[in-house]
Amino acid sequence: MFGMPTDAMTPTGFDPSMFMLSGYLLGLLGGMNLVAIMLGAMTLPVFFVVLFTVEQVARVTANATGWFPAKLVLYMFRGLRRSPLRTSLTYIALFVLTLVLSMIYSVLVFIGNVTTEKEADFKAIATHKTIIPSQMPRSHYEDFKKQLAKLPDGMRPKNGEADIMAWSFFLGTTDPISKRPDSNVFAFCIEPKKILTMMDGLDNLTGKEKSDLDAAVAEMERNPQAIVMSKMRMKKMNLQIGQTIKVTGLNYNDLVFDLTIIGELPDGKYDNISFINSAYLFRQLDAWKINNPKNRTSEAHPMDAKCINLIWVRLPNKEAFERLASAVNDTGNFSNPQIKLETASSGFGTFLEAFKDILFGMKYLMAPAMVAIMCLVIANAISIGVRERRTEMAVLKVLGFQPRHVLFLVVGEAVLVGLMAGFMSTLIAFKMIGNLKLQIAFFGAFFVPVEVLVYGPMLGAFVSVAGSLIPAMAAKNVKVAEVFARVA
Amino acid sequence: MARALVQVRDLHKSFTRGTERIDVLRDLTLDVGAAEFLALMGPSGSGKTTLLNLIAGLDQPTSGKISVGENVISEMSESELARWRTRHVGFIFQFYYLLPVLTAYENVELPLLLLPLTKEQRRKQVTTALDLVGLTERMDHRPGQLSGGQQQRVGIARAMVTDPELIVADEPTGDLDTKSADEILKLMEILRAQLGKTIIMVTHDPKAASRAQRTLHLEKGQLVLDTAAH
Repeated sequence: MFGMPTDAMTPTGFDPSMFMLSGYLLGLLGGMNLVAIMLGAMTLPVFFVVLFTVEQVARVTANATGWFPAKLVLYMFRGLRRSPLRTSLTYIALFVLTLVLSMIYSVLVFIGNVTTEKEADFKAIATHKTIIPSQMPRSHYEDFKKQLAKLPDGMRPKNGEADIMAWSFFLGTTDPISKRPDSNVFAFCIEPKKILTMMDGLDNLTGKEKSDLDAAVAEMERNPQAIVMSKMRMKKMNLQIGQTIKVTGLNYNDLVFDLTIIGELPDGKYDNISFINSAYLFRQLDAWKINNPKNRTSEAHPMDAKCINLIWVRLPNKEAFERLASAVNDTGNFSNPQIKLETASSGFGTFLEAFKDILFGMKYLMAPAMVAIMCLVIANAISIGVRERRTEMAVLKVLGFQPRHVLFLVVGEAVLVGLMAGFMSTLIAFKMIGNLKLQIAFFGAFFVPVEVLVYGPMLGAFVSVAGSLIPAMAAKNVKVAEVFARVA
Repeated sequence: MARALVQVRDLHKSFTRGTERIDVLRDLTLDVGAAEFLALMGPSGSGKTTLLNLIAGLDQPTSGKISVGENVISEMSESELARWRTRHVGFIFQFYYLLPVLTAYENVELPLLLLPLTKEQRRKQVTTALDLVGLTERMDHRPGQLSGGQQQRVGIARAMVTDPELIVADEPTGDLDTKSADEILKLMEILRAQLGKTIIMVTHDPKAASRAQRTLHLEKGQLVLDTAAH
């Protein structure tokens, strides 16, 4: 895998992978923090507007009820406006922390969802046993269907053919001379009707989106040279529905596809991906064998034996999976190449195996380290404030305020900032980043779980409390006589 | 003879600075009568502020006994002292020490928040206090919007809003011009004469001390002179 060391890099036996892992982690952390700092700075005016608004609510409540805790809360709000610079820096620090940790949490939840094994009606995936990317001949797909037919009743796919799908990955360019990345077309070549029955992430389409997709699939069935592209890709390549494009294969050398754009994929679904009828790919491969002038010995195209990348099947239960897996693993059934069957989640889990150290680092090193660092940052900021307001706190004690009131004031100010920073950062994560609907391969759109709207403020409040506790204890223990003696 | 409001017996206070022990007050005994205006004078380091702090319940003596009214404050815990101070002692500081983020009204109201009063009762007491010091029309102003003399008057209003029997003042006119200082001292006289407050004031200013009924001189932690005003 790119970036990971091979034996060739370690002739002396020295393993640089830990340094590379550290580099990846630091780079990831630095990038995320930078974005979070920018967002935090941009939301500062909103923060102060919210602070002012909530303070007015507190003022009205305090004046209306005359309730002591309400007056204390009002005093906390006024205290925050006393030093806008310090309050801003505390806010940004907590904003960065809660935003970054919310994103890490979202990534881990997403991975968790994808790798969670389902008990019934789950997808299994057949791939090359050892090579990534997987490549198999067309015959394997037919043989796979035969094995499915041999399964006992109750173990076969409930919807028959509709529950089986093969993918062929096609990468081509509309500009074969300069081969610029922005003229690339990446497509899944599949049986069109399987788009509706087997592709993930198409369950929540609007009425119009569904009917448009149905029409596109019908047209792809009728016209094998039809292509359905994502809106994002069409916009980037300045293409429109109805246009004809000539796409030269990059992974299928010497193959040229004449395609007509007959539809677009719904927003946020499979961005930068297109769908082509696999029949057209196979037809082009067969035509190359016959028509290619360079092919004097009528050999098959080099990719002919590798044109199936993945085979998907939806199975009704685990027993069906185990039976089918046993059949697939039998070299008498599938050889040259040998293939393996995994559940989709375990397949992804295997893919993630190479990244497990990074994920471990994110979860157990990066996140706690960030929390600890931010606690120290908050503690420093609050300490400075407490030192500056030492006399004020002494006056409060003189007037009869108990030490716990002083403690509550200091911690309360920090918690107010923590709650607001936590809420605003997670709201941005949820509304902005979550709504980008970033498609992650074929696992659906990346999302930010709604529970971050609760966890974020809680995390902000927790870090505020943890960071402000020691300065608050110092404030609580201010010796009145000493303070005034120093002042005198 | 009427019992004194403040009774100090064999008071001793020392501090430790590193390995050195410093005796600030030594075997001090004094009585302060109810509704008396007492000035404490002496050179720097004589212990007058320390004595004031001890009588006001801001600190605990090393040994000795201090009684204010029925309460032996030298035997109270910190939280008991805090509760006692709210009801029984008002403080006037040299530098006013108003909370800058609160209005004059809110500053005066602060001590009342700790008492079981209704909102209306608090409002009545605050407006009465501000009225007495002549700052009703400035009640919604923040300290930054008030002059030094006005801030000190707010400080006085805050000191008397809980109707304490004892008011302590540490150099109340130290940061004021002559005119403002005179107004403040007049107010303090009114508090004593009309409201029966006992006032103990630390001052370096002989003119301020001359407004008091009695002046105590301290030197090296001991009482050296006790003069009544003529």
